Amino acid sequence: MSSLRNSYWAVVALELVCAGGCSALDLRALPEFFRPDPFGAVVASDRQGAQQLHQLHLRAARAGYVSFHLVADVEPGQQYQLSVDFPLPVDVYREWFHLNKPDALYYPDALIPVPGPYRSRMPEPDNHVPGQRAQSFWIDIWIPAGAQPQLYRGGAQLTSGAAHSNIPIEIEVLPAAIPGTDAVTLDNNSYGTSWMLSQYPETLARLRAGKGGEDELFRLIHDYHRIFYDHRGTFHQLGYGHAGKVAPEFAPVLSGSGKTKKIVSWDWFDRHYGPLLDGSAFRDSRRGPRPIPYMYLPINPEWPASFLWWGEPGYEAEFRNVVGEMERHFREKNWTSTTFEVFFNQKKRYKGFSWDGDEIRFRRDNDYLLEYHRLLRAAIPSTSPVHFAMRADTSWSMGEQFELLKGAITFWVAGEGELSWYGDAIGKLKQRGDTVWTYGGTPPVQSVSSAITLNPLRSWISGVEGFVRWQTVDPGPDPWFALAGGGEALVYPGERFGVRGPLASIRLKLQRNCLQDLALLERASKTSDQSGIQEEAVRRFNRTRLADWRNTPPALLRKPVLEWNNPDISDALKPWEARFSALEPGAWLRVREYALDEGGRAK
Amino acid sequence: MTRVPSLLSQVAVLSLLAVPCFAQNTEIDNQLDEIARVASVMVDGDVCQRIVTPRAVAFMSKRDPRDQWADSDNYDVDDAAFNSVKKTLIRLSMLADFPLDVNLWLPAPGTPARVQIAIRNRNELSQFWDWGKLSQEMFPEMRTVLTTGKRVTVKQKPGLISVLAPVRNSLDEIVGLVEVVTRVVPDVRENVK
Repeated sequence: MSSLRNSYWAVVALELVCAGGCSALDLRALPEFFRPDPFGAVVASDRQGAQQLHQLHLRAARAGYVSFHLVADVEPGQQYQLSVDFPLPVDVYREWFHLNKPDALYYPDALIPVPGPYRSRMPEPDNHVPGQRAQSFWIDIWIPAGAQPQLYRGGAQLTSGAAHSNIPIEIEVLPAAIPGTDAVTLDNNSYGTSWMLSQYPETLARLRAGKGGEDELFRLIHDYHRIFYDHRGTFHQLGYGHAGKVAPEFAPVLSGSGKTKKIVSWDWFDRHYGPLLDGSAFRDSRRGPRPIPYMYLPINPEWPASFLWWGEPGYEAEFRNVVGEMERHFREKNWTSTTFEVFFNQKKRYKGFSWDGDEIRFRRDNDYLLEYHRLLRAAIPSTSPVHFAMRADTSWSMGEQFELLKGAITFWVAGEGELSWYGDAIGKLKQRGDTVWTYGGTPPVQSVSSAITLNPLRSWISGVEGFVRWQTVDPGPDPWFALAGGGEALVYPGERFGVRGPLASIRLKLQRNCLQDLALLERASKTSDQSGIQEEAVRRFNRTRLADWRNTPPALLRKPVLEWNNPDISDALKPWEARFSALEPGAWLRVREYALDEGGRAK
Repeated sequence: MTRVPSLLSQVAVLSLLAVPCFAQNTEIDNQLDEIARVASVMVDGDVCQRIVTPRAVAFMSKRDPRDQWADSDNYDVDDAAFNSVKKTLIRLSMLADFPLDVNLWLPAPGTPARVQIAIRNRNELSQFWDWGKLSQEMFPEMRTVLTTGKRVTVKQKPGLISVLAPVRNSLDEIVGLVEVVTRVVPDVRENVK
């Protein structure tokens, strides 16, 4: 009988399929990075090194979660009951098995909170998996910051009729507490709110019918912020379209034109953002209330100034009037803990405006950003305690932009691969006071489970302060029975299950647990040799050296940007990306052990 | 020097229009048609022809089998021409007291079988544009406008009404068209994405 305390990378005899090997009723556990399938096995991408466990011994720092899967093997047609008894707070989630279109296989991802004890029958009635014989559950155990460091014992029990199967659970709580501040800000991006109306037809029925209902919308928005915050992330919602239309919940109401343009109502804006900016939206979080650290402003070429006046005195008058009012309002509300981002997302290919705000490729488009910086400086008192920042998302021409926009752009969100070509840029940008994040996608469910940890780890190693997953709330038209990979979703709409808010995913929870460990390592590195700690972390992660994580400029950089194309960029990145391919599912668990060893020393 | 109608002349023409609030589709139709008629007068076809840069046209007219995004990544416009026409389109949209867009469409250079949207506006309304497409197959209604110079009303997509009207240059050639478009029941969140 194996224990989770064993070395995760040890070669063990695999017991992947229970058919013929397990008893009719069996309760098993799997380490969090080994996702079960509904047939008693581990999903193919996570099988390497998988261990089926019948007892658990886990180590954990305080102020954080410890997680694992419980898998109930039950004869088809039988009813069963699962209960978990533990002296620390336990959250139990039923794992939904998605039929994944890209490979026509089942993966667990959406997590449906269930009360304990959980009663059901095999196969799970609503999941409709032909031949299902195993139902898995994600278990989160919360270790409060004030928990006594000691060994905690409990267990899980599966019963069906007179038969039962038990798993003893032990958690060794260490004296160390996971820092509340993350080593890397993991940002989850989204666009507008129309997707909420599609995903929550019942919850937002009144809003859809035009009969009020905005309170439900604001509550739902806050729920999305909260779920990402609870998973050590941040949430961004861009409130305007490519041609400048602003949805009403993202901006104060304006009236007038030219010199008389002004704000006439803060009502919806304050109801939306007030609880986020003072932190009260998170008052019930185990992490405690905290204002959101960043948010997009609705400022774009068409708001608050009409593009009709671009290049004329009226444009500056409208911009200064409204942005100046915003600064005063934020100051009066004491919203001084958040960075308010002036960010331009439009691309000229979408025909709304004549210049690219996002991923500028043509040099002259930077002139617009310089002009907006001038306008912003004119609108905001230099002594304001409110923090406005010009943000640019950059890829093609980042090397040029870092120089051209010095002092104007202070918040960079750079393509992760391309940024790796500019070896000393991160340090230089941070040296001058800029914030540097990178951006990228989200591993789909068919990727190896540990893929979700690569971007956070690579961000920490490179020294950037954040990583943006560019779309995280779009699971596609039928996430339940025809998932399109889930590469644009880390949460799912809960309405189907009577939850009037988002459901977390396994990938989101794996990412959270990775961030907990990174926070421990970051703290340890502050009082020790950071490069030594990072060297050991990457060695455990994928048997590389720290030097392997640094890239060198490709020949492509010697050509003008307008001569680049996507295949050339992709080819130039391949050698570097190849160093991070073929990850093992247990890769992060090896880093976890190190984080607990190193971070566990510091109280 | 670009040929852009002066602000005063535009205001003078636009002020000739009395635009009542709409209540019924026929009233909306009439308003859209009137704005489209004015647009044919106000939108400068010569300036429109300068919007898409020759470099962008070159990328649009050849397909790169290795890079499906080559045309989009190299799409570029002449700022002055784009902005002056866009401002005219914005003014035209202000003639209605309900959300309305006036889009500019141009024949795709060198390929009379195709058409491209060149300028869109705030509400991102259109009955024709497929999101992200730089050019599309010519629509029969647009071909009618481009060949006959007549305005055409289109109600193909539920809830949307468009009137297409020709845009002429100084040689009196029809070089493009406007799509004056509204949604009968406005959606304040549509296209914020």
